[in-house]
Amino acid sequence: MKHALLGAAFAAALAIPAYAQDYTIMAPAAPGGGWDGTARAMQDVMQAEGIAASVEVINVPGAGGTVGLAQFAADSAGDPTKLIVGGYVMVGAVLTNASPVTLKDVTPIARLTGDTQAIVVPATSDIQSLGDLVAKLQADPGAVSWAGGSAGGTDHITVGLLAKAAGVDPTKINYVAFSGGGEAMAAILGNQVTAGVSSVGEFAEQVKAGTMRLLAVSSAERLDGIDAPTIKEAGFDVVVQNWRMVAAAPGLNDEQKAKIAADIEKLNGSAGWGKVLADKGWANTYLAGDAFGAQLDADIAATEAVLRDIGLVK
Amino acid sequence: MESFNLLLQGLATALQPMILLYALVGVTLGTAVGVLPGIGPALTVALLLPVTYGLDPAGSIIMFAGIYYGGMYGGSTTSILLNTPGESASIVTAIEGNRMARAGRAGPALATAAIGSFVAGLIATLLLAFLAPQVVKLALTLGPREYFALMVLAFVTVSATFGDSALRGLTSLFIGLALACVGIDGLSGAARLTFDVPQLMDGIETTTLAVALFALGEALAVAAMITPPDALHRVTGSVKMTASDWQRSWKAWLRGTFIGFPIGSMPAGGADVASFLSYAVEKKLAKHPEEFGHGAIEGVAGPEAANNAAAAGTLVPLLTLGLPTTATAAIMLAGFQQFGLQPGPLLFVMNAELVWGLIAALLVANVMLVVLNLPLIGLWIRLLTIPRPWLYAGIMVFATLGCIGLNPSPVELGMLILFGIMGYGLRLYGYPVAPVVVGLILGPMAEQQLRRALAIAQGDWTTLVSTPVAAILLLISALFLLVPIVLRFAGRGQVLSAVAGDSD
Amino acid sequence: MSQGDFPARRPQGAAFAIAAGLAAVAGVLLWDAAGLKQDGGYAGVGPADVPRLVAYGLLLLSGFTVIAGLRGELPQPPRQAPAPVLWILGGLGLQLVLLHPVGFVPASALLFAMTARGFGQKPLWRNIAVGLVLALAVYAVFDRLLKLNLPGGPLEQLIFQG
Repeated sequence: MKHALLGAAFAAALAIPAYAQDYTIMAPAAPGGGWDGTARAMQDVMQAEGIAASVEVINVPGAGGTVGLAQFAADSAGDPTKLIVGGYVMVGAVLTNASPVTLKDVTPIARLTGDTQAIVVPATSDIQSLGDLVAKLQADPGAVSWAGGSAGGTDHITVGLLAKAAGVDPTKINYVAFSGGGEAMAAILGNQVTAGVSSVGEFAEQVKAGTMRLLAVSSAERLDGIDAPTIKEAGFDVVVQNWRMVAAAPGLNDEQKAKIAADIEKLNGSAGWGKVLADKGWANTYLAGDAFGAQLDADIAATEAVLRDIGLVK
Repeated sequence: MESFNLLLQGLATALQPMILLYALVGVTLGTAVGVLPGIGPALTVALLLPVTYGLDPAGSIIMFAGIYYGGMYGGSTTSILLNTPGESASIVTAIEGNRMARAGRAGPALATAAIGSFVAGLIATLLLAFLAPQVVKLALTLGPREYFALMVLAFVTVSATFGDSALRGLTSLFIGLALACVGIDGLSGAARLTFDVPQLMDGIETTTLAVALFALGEALAVAAMITPPDALHRVTGSVKMTASDWQRSWKAWLRGTFIGFPIGSMPAGGADVASFLSYAVEKKLAKHPEEFGHGAIEGVAGPEAANNAAAAGTLVPLLTLGLPTTATAAIMLAGFQQFGLQPGPLLFVMNAELVWGLIAALLVANVMLVVLNLPLIGLWIRLLTIPRPWLYAGIMVFATLGCIGLNPSPVELGMLILFGIMGYGLRLYGYPVAPVVVGLILGPMAEQQLRRALAIAQGDWTTLVSTPVAAILLLISALFLLVPIVLRFAGRGQVLSAVAGDSD
Repeated sequence: MSQGDFPARRPQGAAFAIAAGLAAVAGVLLWDAAGLKQDGGYAGVGPADVPRLVAYGLLLLSGFTVIAGLRGELPQPPRQAPAPVLWILGGLGLQLVLLHPVGFVPASALLFAMTARGFGQKPLWRNIAVGLVLALAVYAVFDRLLKLNLPGGPLEQLIFQG
């Protein structure tokens, strides 16, 4: 009996790869965050749509994803069943933490989703437009306090880029880091800081309720249903997108890479994935192949430059 | 009446079948683990945290609520039957409750504790629902400097004001603060005390520290004890309370509730202070003060109600300000953060449905506890008869499970063991454990608020006392730090050590 | 961290050891703070300042602990039996070492067995058997049902992957 079972299990193990590959997705963050949410959504959709027979999610939290990234690059080299979720925050974290393992040590497959950044002020503020805010910043950078997420994160980078575009020394910005969007929001609503930066979705409710004024969004084009100019329109050449991506293990051959890329493309095209994006309010920013590679390189270079300007990377 | 409507909506959320199931699983697990000797609510919540990892945020937080109330309830059962209170707030319950059990009146003692917990839980949760929105309105006007002052106050009350030694309390706090420095500094991105170990980048996990100090430390201390622990008192006779029991209990429940809730909801003391105060009040008001010390039912009813009311009260600063004032609250905060939820005024604005669902779930859990537990007392008692070797061996497996499930790295497990040894040492020399946990979780918050306040004011230190709220809070902190020291010098230390707490 | 001594016969000695431990932690904090870039930005308080403040606090407390020790004010711990502590720590150490090579179930079963042995439960083989049953149940519930990722070894593969 035992042998029969074992034999059956063995046969099953051999048979599965023939039609669908199993995946293990690493979310380099604690359960519950955005990366974990992305990984678990991928798990659900890939299984439901039959893209993979069995998908497992593991969490390796720490340091903006660099702990997980390091472990992933070391442990899964050449294994085509391993995937890792990451994003723009990881680009910054690799640089600020001086992580020995970078995104060059894994095989980026595709960008999946993205968030646009928003710049807001409290409704009671006398600042009416991004122009007003920048004028203040140019007059006395220290007097403009910015509330946003962790140091070196997307929010901080947005402020740094804006300062640079406005001709203000980025090391002089008075950026006040909060541990999450919620905490930063309390400071903005309580009129404790001059302005706030976070994702558009994070502020949407408050802007609608009229307790905050949305000055600008960081996308290249205006967003549907959101009444605010882009930073670019206001005259500053800044476009920032907080994107999430999926990458595969290092050391894969072209055939393996193509198989994974095809599976991810199938995922992106599925109805289930569309529903997940709609439910979670994520924008689909799917970009794969060489176009993504080029975009990633550009993002890394730009981020490194701005972090150097802010003084977080020496 | 805004609260009332929101609460009704919350009840609609909490009464969905799946949510009810989560709450039921929560109270059952919470009670079952809380009943185990030596396990207080803090450890119950920490040990059961992994159960909630796989659920969605709403489900897990509601399960949490059940675990919290269940753990509180289970703790009192143990202290009555075994005289080994799992947490300091149950010490008083143990004084009179255990005497009643020895006199063959374990049934009524358990019943008055259960019903008292229910009454207190009900009233205090309603008070929480009506008070929280007001505190939230106030909290929205508070800035970094006020938060910093609040945290200083919490540091002082947790470590120095109560307890029998300010020196040991402060030492524990500073050990926690030192551990809190490990990891990436949130404001500058600088890596502190990480020794190039990547797992230390994110700092020391609150649950790892709490589980190590409470579970491993406790297991090691109990194992090394040479004297055998107290025997279990069997429940003989009826669980029913007599007319005279009711007569003597109900006022004590109400008084306990109204003593417990305000104390719990202040960003200061925890449930232990409340239950000691309630005990003192009951003793003073009793018609038969001579019965105290020999099994007076008021001495169980009042403190148990105060204990539960204070536990609900601690949710006020936790939910509205994001300020944990007890070890249990610190672990709950860690649980919230696991799901990317930051308790604080904005939680009520952004996740109103979730918060009100949680508050409603507390009410539901409270009802479930009294409905389930009065008939199930026999079952819980059977848990107490598990031989200690199996019991503690099981606790060790669950303690390490929480750590492995969150982050299966040897570094994390190694830290768990190290902190376990530290917890044993702390226990051995009478150092309180709760300030270490509170220091770890509040330390970085206080530091960041301080630096934020100074950044906004561009380095002007007077900003810290430039609003009345901040100035008054800092003044109270200074008084709380200095007055007990003066009192001890004047030989009045006994009063304070009578309200000493060591685990929660 | 703050203590490394188990059964102390003289509380005074323990007080000095605790004080030394606190001072050592303070030393590590100061040493680490010295290596941080000191840039407080607009706050004027940088990443190294708070660790320094904590270190000074610890040094102060270390001094008071010495005074308390000289006066004999530290509570006298009850006599301790070292053997059970060693059994439990041994179990924890074994679990740490074996977790990844052999998997969660056997490693935890050994921890269970050695803890029970520390509490006086014999024989060891029966403890291991009980521990295996418990660890398997825990693995089934938490890894399979609740989707926690517990390290699996050959045993877990054999039982659950089929």
